[in-house]
Amino acid sequence: MAELIQYFPQALTPMNLLVLVLGVIGGLFLGATPGLSPTMAVALLVPFTFYMAPDAGLILLGAVYTATVAGGAISAILINIPGAPANIATLLDGYPMAQQGHSQRALYICFISSLVGGLFGMLVMVLFTPPLARIALKFGPSEMFWIAIFGITVMAGLASGSIFKGLIGGMFGLLVSTIGYSPILGVPRFVFLDVLTGGVAIVPALIGLFAVPQIFSLMEGMGQRVVSQVEYKPRRGILLKTIIENLKMVKALSIGSVVGSIIGVIPGAGGQVAGLISYDQVRKFSKNPNSFGRGNPQGVAAAESANNAMVGPSLIPLLTLSVPGSPTAAVLLGGLLIHGLFPGPDLFRSHADVTYTFIGSLVLAQVAMCVFGIMMSRYSYTVMRVPNLQMIAAVTILAVYGTYSVQNSFDDVIVMFALGTLMYLGRKVGFSGAPVVLGIILGPIAEDNYLKGKMIAETDVGLFSYFFTGSINIIIILLCAASVAYSIFGEIKAQRKFKEAGG
Amino acid sequence: MGRDACVGAVCLAGSGVLYCTLGLIEDERAAIFPRVLIVAMAVLSALLLVQGLLLKRKAAAPGRAYPWGRFFFLFGLIVAYFALMESLGFYVSAFLFFLAVAFILGRAELTGRKAGFRVLGSAIFVAVLYVLFNLILVVQTPRGLLF
Repeated sequence: MAELIQYFPQALTPMNLLVLVLGVIGGLFLGATPGLSPTMAVALLVPFTFYMAPDAGLILLGAVYTATVAGGAISAILINIPGAPANIATLLDGYPMAQQGHSQRALYICFISSLVGGLFGMLVMVLFTPPLARIALKFGPSEMFWIAIFGITVMAGLASGSIFKGLIGGMFGLLVSTIGYSPILGVPRFVFLDVLTGGVAIVPALIGLFAVPQIFSLMEGMGQRVVSQVEYKPRRGILLKTIIENLKMVKALSIGSVVGSIIGVIPGAGGQVAGLISYDQVRKFSKNPNSFGRGNPQGVAAAESANNAMVGPSLIPLLTLSVPGSPTAAVLLGGLLIHGLFPGPDLFRSHADVTYTFIGSLVLAQVAMCVFGIMMSRYSYTVMRVPNLQMIAAVTILAVYGTYSVQNSFDDVIVMFALGTLMYLGRKVGFSGAPVVLGIILGPIAEDNYLKGKMIAETDVGLFSYFFTGSINIIIILLCAASVAYSIFGEIKAQRKFKEAGG
Repeated sequence: MGRDACVGAVCLAGSGVLYCTLGLIEDERAAIFPRVLIVAMAVLSALLLVQGLLLKRKAAAPGRAYPWGRFFFLFGLIVAYFALMESLGFYVSAFLFFLAVAFILGRAELTGRKAGFRVLGSAIFVAVLYVLFNLILVVQTPRGLLF
């Protein structure tokens, strides 16, 4: 906490504040735009941060991450389409409120509740991140190798409908990270074409895997019209009334904030789960549970406080152990790495200035998200009316620029597009980009630590004893197994339901 | 054979091909980690294949036919954009790409008024990019004949 107070003023410099405000406004618009996922928005911005100071770059990514989660509620409330999976629970009561002519009130409740939950989540993050980072100090090569594998098992279970497809995606990502010259021996691997000589860098991979499939998905959605749009009628003088009404929803805000924070710390659970669980809990504790789903503002408050409370805690495993809690956090990990910042205890010692400025800016981003969200509510329709055609062209051009600009390499653009097209086709048969990206990001960490561990093991206790014994190794291996088992259990349950339904 | 079984079989075959290419790596030590990954991928693919053969998955809901024509057209348009970028430069090719997408992919709903808006929209978008990249961020973009 002392470090946060010490470095907090750095987040308040005019440049950093400008970046933060731009990030929040951009994030709100991107989050509100159906068809543009928050993960893709953050991925497209990563190259822009390359030309910025590390603190400003991370502030931009953090602000966009925070604002897209809240911005996704705008389309959930106004057109019944969640901007992000985290906003699914919001539409259950947000859209009925809008249908009843209370869209402005629903949006205000959404942003105020997001602020309350977001600040609570940030407090949890500030309190728990440094102690966990100190535990990571005890990690050697074998533990680091297993942590990388744990990250992939978590993402594999989270992002794909099938754990096997998720794990295959993760392994494929790890394999892609080995393309190019071997970092230790300097010999080429899998360089079948000239464009692969330099390997696959993080930015082309991020943009390719998240933006290109989105471009083709937008193409598929062309000609489909939103039929469930409601009117937004702004009324004067309801802000203060709504703030008072919202802050009186103590039960909904408390349950949402606590549930969101707990779920956020668990890698892989995500904002979608946080929103739905807290919504369900608030409904169960309500004196009038039947009013939920029919425009009860408590439902919006519970869902939005939960999905924003998740943002801070979801960064705890990322900043301490390199295990991102969500696909967007995996992209943020890429953003950290391109600035030479490696998660772990070193982040809080050698780069304490950047890290604590980033954390401080996330607190500010929560406040800015609420203020600008309320101010921009009336203009949100403009964003949702952008036709798919223009979005296809704009996203393609930005993807090309973002990829080219990092190394001024046209080869990267080709790699980005090829990888993205492959991912789009992969998505058609149930694969997801998140485990692949994480594999590419964690690949060098996994390989480096595997080879180091192998060398130590051969001169010491042997390969099996080195990698499969020791309390920390066993705990992480058990976590990997639990993560896979949990996903398999979920699939078996889904299969049973399918059979019971007569499938 | 179900979809998952087919995917498993393709991944298994792909793992086999990749395993064969390991022999091309000059130093055996550099192939250790990729070998572990390919074997893991093969095992997972085999498991997916078995799962696909044993389990019945929910069939996809019948929807609109996939617009393959539009997919290949957009794919071709993007490839043409890349090809033009090296000769015409980033901004001119971006403008042309924007126009091509707006006019060719969106030709069904085209009217004289809309056409004007689309040209104007493309010009404004590229102008904003020029100001942002060249004047504010001062970053290098692919250069061509005009810019």
